Amino acid sequence: MATENPNRPNYPLRPAATPFAAPQSTTPFGSMVGSEASAFRPPPPASSQSMTPPFPSGPFVGSEAPPFRPPPPGRSNELVRPPPPPSSSSSYGPPTAGFQRFPTPPLPSTGQVGPPRASLAGQPVIPPPTRPPGGPVSFLSQTQPASIPIGSPPQSIKTGQPNPNFPPPADQPFSAPRPNVQPSSPPMGPSYATARGNFQPAFPGYVNTQANSAAQAPYMQPASFPLQQGGYAPPAPPAPFLAQQRGYASGPPTTASSGLHFGNQMQHYGVGPPVGNSQGLAEDFSSLSLGSVPGSFDTGLDVASLPRPLDGDVEPTSFAEMYPLNCNPSFLRLTTSGLPNSQSLASKWHLPLGAVVCPLAEAPVGEEVPVVNFATTGIVRCRRCRTYVNPYVTFTDNGRKWRCNICSLLNDVQSDYFAHVDASGRRVDLDQRPELTKGSVEFIAPAEYMVRPPMPPLYFFLIDVSISAVKSGMLEVMAQTIKSCLDNLPGYPRTQIGFITYDSTIHFYNMKSSLMQPQMMVVSDLDDIFVPLPDDLLVNLSESRNVVEAFLDSLPLMFQDNMNVESAFGPALKAAFMVMSQLGGKMLIFQNTLPSLGVGRLRLRGDDIKVYGTDKEHTLRVPEDPFYKQMAADFTKYQIAVNVYAFSDKYTDIASLGTLAKYTGGQVYYYPSFQSSIHKDKLRHELARDLTRETAWEAVMRIRCGKGVRFTSYHGNFMLRSTDLLALPAVDCDKAYAAQLSLEETLLTTQTVYFQVALLYTSSSGERRIRVHTAAAPVVAELGEMYRLADTGAIVSLFSRLAIEKTLSYKLEDARNAIQLRIVKALREYRNLFSVQHRLSGRMIYPESLKFLPLYGLALFKSTPLRGGYADAQLDERCAAGYTMMALPVKKLLKLLYPNLVRVDDSLVKTGEFDNITKRLPLTAESLDTRGLYIFDNGFRFVVWFGRLISPDIARNLIGEDFGGDYSKVTLTPRDNEQSRKLMKILNKFRESDPSYFQLCHIVRQGEQPREGFFLLTNLIEDQIGGANGYADWILQLHRQVQQNA
Amino acid sequence: MGDLFAWLISFFLLIGVLGIILYQLMCLADLEYDYINPYDSASRINKAVLPEFVTQGVFCFLHLITGHWIMLLMCLPYTYYNVKSVEPRVFFRYTQRQHLVDVTEIFNQLPWEKKLRLYKLGYLIILLALSIFW
Repeated sequence: MATENPNRPNYPLRPAATPFAAPQSTTPFGSMVGSEASAFRPPPPASSQSMTPPFPSGPFVGSEAPPFRPPPPGRSNELVRPPPPPSSSSSYGPPTAGFQRFPTPPLPSTGQVGPPRASLAGQPVIPPPTRPPGGPVSFLSQTQPASIPIGSPPQSIKTGQPNPNFPPPADQPFSAPRPNVQPSSPPMGPSYATARGNFQPAFPGYVNTQANSAAQAPYMQPASFPLQQGGYAPPAPPAPFLAQQRGYASGPPTTASSGLHFGNQMQHYGVGPPVGNSQGLAEDFSSLSLGSVPGSFDTGLDVASLPRPLDGDVEPTSFAEMYPLNCNPSFLRLTTSGLPNSQSLASKWHLPLGAVVCPLAEAPVGEEVPVVNFATTGIVRCRRCRTYVNPYVTFTDNGRKWRCNICSLLNDVQSDYFAHVDASGRRVDLDQRPELTKGSVEFIAPAEYMVRPPMPPLYFFLIDVSISAVKSGMLEVMAQTIKSCLDNLPGYPRTQIGFITYDSTIHFYNMKSSLMQPQMMVVSDLDDIFVPLPDDLLVNLSESRNVVEAFLDSLPLMFQDNMNVESAFGPALKAAFMVMSQLGGKMLIFQNTLPSLGVGRLRLRGDDIKVYGTDKEHTLRVPEDPFYKQMAADFTKYQIAVNVYAFSDKYTDIASLGTLAKYTGGQVYYYPSFQSSIHKDKLRHELARDLTRETAWEAVMRIRCGKGVRFTSYHGNFMLRSTDLLALPAVDCDKAYAAQLSLEETLLTTQTVYFQVALLYTSSSGERRIRVHTAAAPVVAELGEMYRLADTGAIVSLFSRLAIEKTLSYKLEDARNAIQLRIVKALREYRNLFSVQHRLSGRMIYPESLKFLPLYGLALFKSTPLRGGYADAQLDERCAAGYTMMALPVKKLLKLLYPNLVRVDDSLVKTGEFDNITKRLPLTAESLDTRGLYIFDNGFRFVVWFGRLISPDIARNLIGEDFGGDYSKVTLTPRDNEQSRKLMKILNKFRESDPSYFQLCHIVRQGEQPREGFFLLTNLIEDQIGGANGYADWILQLHRQVQQNA
Repeated sequence: MGDLFAWLISFFLLIGVLGIILYQLMCLADLEYDYINPYDSASRINKAVLPEFVTQGVFCFLHLITGHWIMLLMCLPYTYYNVKSVEPRVFFRYTQRQHLVDVTEIFNQLPWEKKLRLYKLGYLIILLALSIFW
C-alpha cells in the first residue's frame, strides 16, 4: 500500500480503493492547480468522444442506468477546472441522448398532472406522493445535490417568458444534458473532468421536475426531456440544436410551475466557458425554494418536502469507502472529513471543526476489535510522537524502518518485529498483523504502562436512607437490583464492593467475610469525619458474598421506619472518598433529598423567579458550592467515577450534584418523583446496565493528530489532566467525548491528516490495555469540499455540547443565539460560494451533507437543556438532561433530538408480523391521526398516544376495561390478547435496539391535558410550541438571516 | 527620612506583588507545558492569591496614610478589581471564589487566567517605573 502514484499526487497514502472511490479522491481533494487538472483532463476531442457513445444510444437506455452511480467524482473538479474550450459546447448535443438514461421512474409523468396545475395557480406544489423508487436511493448515495420541490412563487410565472435567450429557462434544459455524460464509464476517472460533470440532477428535486414536465408534456414534448423525465425515453434528436430548442421550449412551463431552480440546472447554455464551471458547482448543493413574494400570505414553503432524518442517523459512507483502513465511524466521527488546508479556509468554516470520539462503542457485529499482544517486542510506537503502530505507517528500507504517519519520523523496526517487504511495499506478514490492517486494535500493555497494579473493579454504594427514600420505594428496588446483579458484576473474582448509608448520620457496614451479618457503625460527628474501621468496609465480593446478600436483604427493613428527613450528603461523600481512595472505582450515589447537613449542604435556589431572565440566571445551572467541584477533582485524582441517581420530586440541585459526575467521567440518572410502582422497571434496568456493562477502569485518553493540527478543547464528562490528556476513572460504551481542533500553521502542506485515539485502561479482568483507533482524513483546499464531506451528526453533537456549556455562563437565549448564528454564518458562506454563478433569489441552499442541520438545530433549541425560558422545564430536569447530553454518543443524541414517531394500530390489527412499523413519521401534530395509535420513542421514554377516535376494541384490548378513564394511572401491562401481546413485542423490540436506557412507557390520550402536552406535544419539534418556531418558520427565519448582509 | 522609609517599604511591597504574580504565571506556564499536574498548579496558585491581594492592599494603604495621592489613585483600580472578585455577592456564594482558579476547569480558563496575570504584571511594572523615577 501507499506507494505513491504519480498520477495522483494529491493522495500519496491513500490505499487504492474501489474504482468508485478512486476517481473521487483524485478530484475532490487534490490541490487542483489549473495545470495539474489539465493533466488529468483528456483533450477536448477526447471528451467529445467519451460522450459520443451515449449519443446514438437512444434505445439502450434502460440498461445504462446503472452507470449512473459513479458520477460524483467529476464534480469538485469542476470547481477549479479551467473552463472548457467553447468547442466542446457542441458536445452538449449528445447529452440529449442521455436522457434516456433516465427511464428509471416512469411512473409519475402522467399521474401528476394534478400537482403541477395546482402549482401553476401559485400554490405550493403538493409533494408528489410517490417518489421515483430508483432515483432517490441511488442518487442520494452519491451525495448528489438534492433539491426540494416547493411551492411556486407566483412571480415566476411572469418571468418565464418563452424567450430562448432568457437565461433562467435556458438553464433548465441543461440539467437534462448532464445526466448523459454519466454513461461514460466510471473507470474513466479523469475524463470526467472533461465530461464536465454534466451529470445528475438534483434528486429529490427530480420529483418536482417530473411534475413540471408532466404539465408541459401535453404541449411540448421535447421540453420534458431536459427535465429528465423518466417516462420519455425516446427522442433525442440530433444534438446541439435540439438542446437549445428545448431549453427554450421548456423554459416557461418550468419556471411557472415550480419557481424552484435546482442547483444543477443553472447553467447558461451556449455560453461556452462558464458552463463547465457552473455545472460543476451546481452539483454540489441542494436547495429549498422559498420563493415567497414579499408580503404575500403564502410562504411558498411546502412543509411536507422539508428534509427530515426519518432514516435516523446515517453515517457518511463515502468517507469510509475512501479510507477502508479507518476505524469504524461509531468510534470516531469528524465534523468534516475534509480538513481545511489553511487557517483562512478554516475561518470560513463556521461550523465546529473537530471530532466526536466514543472509544468503547459497541463495535458492529463482525468487526470486533482484535486484541494484539506484543509480549516480546513491547508495543511498537513512534520514538518521537509516541504514535502507536497503525495501518497507515509505511515500511521502507526493505522492512527495516517504518515511517510514522503522524510525525513522519523514520523509526527502526525492532528485530523481533521485522518482516520482509514485498515489491509493492507490503509486509509479507501483513495478514497476521491486525494492527497493520485494522483501524481499531487493542494492545495488551506491559508493566511500563502501569503506575500501580491494575485495580480490581470496585463498586461503592452511597445510599440515602432518609424518609423519602424509604417511602418512594427506591431503597427496596435498588437493593433488589443490586442483589440480582451480584452474579454479573464484571471482574469476578476480584470485584470489590462496599456500602455507606446516611441520613443525618453516616452508617458504615463491616462486611468481613467471617461475619454472618454485616455490622453497622454509626458516625454522627459530621464536622470531623473519620472512618471507624481501617478495612473490611470494602470487601471482596466473592469472599463476602453471604454478608453482602444479607445486607441487601435487610437494608429496606432496617430503615423502613426511619423518620429522618435530613441528609448529610457532603460528609458521607467525604467518608466514601476516604474508604475508596486506596483503590478508586465506581461510586453510585442514590440521593433523594437536597443535602441539608454538614459540608456541601445546599439550599433551595431554584424558586427565586426574580433571577430568571437576568444575567444571573446561569448561576442556577452551575454548582453552588465549590465543595462539589473540589470533591470531583479529588475523585478523579484517585480514579473514582461517580454516578448520581437522583429521585426527588422536589428540588435537589442536580446542578451541584451532577458536577460530581461531570468531572469524574460519570453519568447522572434522574427520576423525578420516583415511585417504585411506576419507575421500578426503569431504575432496575438502568442500574443493572450500569453495574454489568463492560467498563474500562482508571483510564486516560489522548487524541493524537498530524502535524499542523491540534486539538484545543474537549467537551464531555471527564477532567483534563494535562492539555490533551483526558482522565476518565471509568469509561463504558455509552460515553462519548467531543473535541475541537484548530490549525497551528497557516498552511498545511500534507495531503492527509491522521488521527489516533488511544485509550489506556484497566479492563475488568485486570489487564492493562490500550485501545487504539486510527483514522485518516484528506486535507482539502476548497470550502465546497469541506461542506461536501461534512457530517451532520458530529456537528450537531458538538453544537449541543457547546450550547450546553454556554448555558453554564450565559442565558439560555444567548446559547441558542450563538448556535443559530453559527448555522446562519455557515449557510451564508455556503451561499456565497454559489451566489456568483447562480441566481439564488428565493432559494435557500445548503449542502446535501448538511440537509438536516437546520432541523437538528431547531430540535436542539427545543431540547430540555436549552428549551424556552424558565417555565418550560424544571431546573433539575434541565440540568440532568444537560449532563446526559454531554455524554451521549452521536446516534443516541440524534434520536433524542429527533425522536421516532411510528403508527402502530394497523400492525396491531393486521395479522402476521410487523415489519413495516419502522416507518417513521415527521414530528408534527399533523402526523397524528385521531383514529390511530402511535409510539413516540426518543431513546429515553416511550409515549403511547391514543387518538380520540381510536377503535374501542384496541383500547380495551390494550389497557383493559377502564380505557375511558384517567390514563395517568394506567400502565401498559401485558394482557392476554393478541393485540396487547403484539404491542408489547413492538415495544420490546424498540427497547432492545437501544439498551443503554430503559424507555418507560407513558400512555397519553389525545386531548388529555396537561399530560398530552407535557409528554408529546412539546416534543413534536416541528410544530410551533410556545414562543418557539415551527420547522417552516424556522427555515424561513434562517433564510432571511442568511440573506441579510449576504 | 520617614518619606524615604515609606518609599522603601512601598517599593519592596511592589516588588513582592510582582514576584507573586510572576510565580503564578510560572505555575500556569508549567501547567501548559505539562510539567506539573492541574491539582498542584491550582493549589499553588490559589495559595499565592491571598498573599498577593493582601500585599497589594497594604501597598495601597501605605500610600493612603503617607498621603501619596497620585500613587494611591494609580493603584486603586487594581485594588478595586481584587476586592470585587473576593467580595461575596448577594445571591450566590460561589462567586466568592472568583479569585481562585478552579482546578476542574483550569485548562479552559488557562488563556484567560494568563492574560489576566499578564495585564496585572504590566500594570505593576508601570507602577514600579513611576515610583522609581518620580
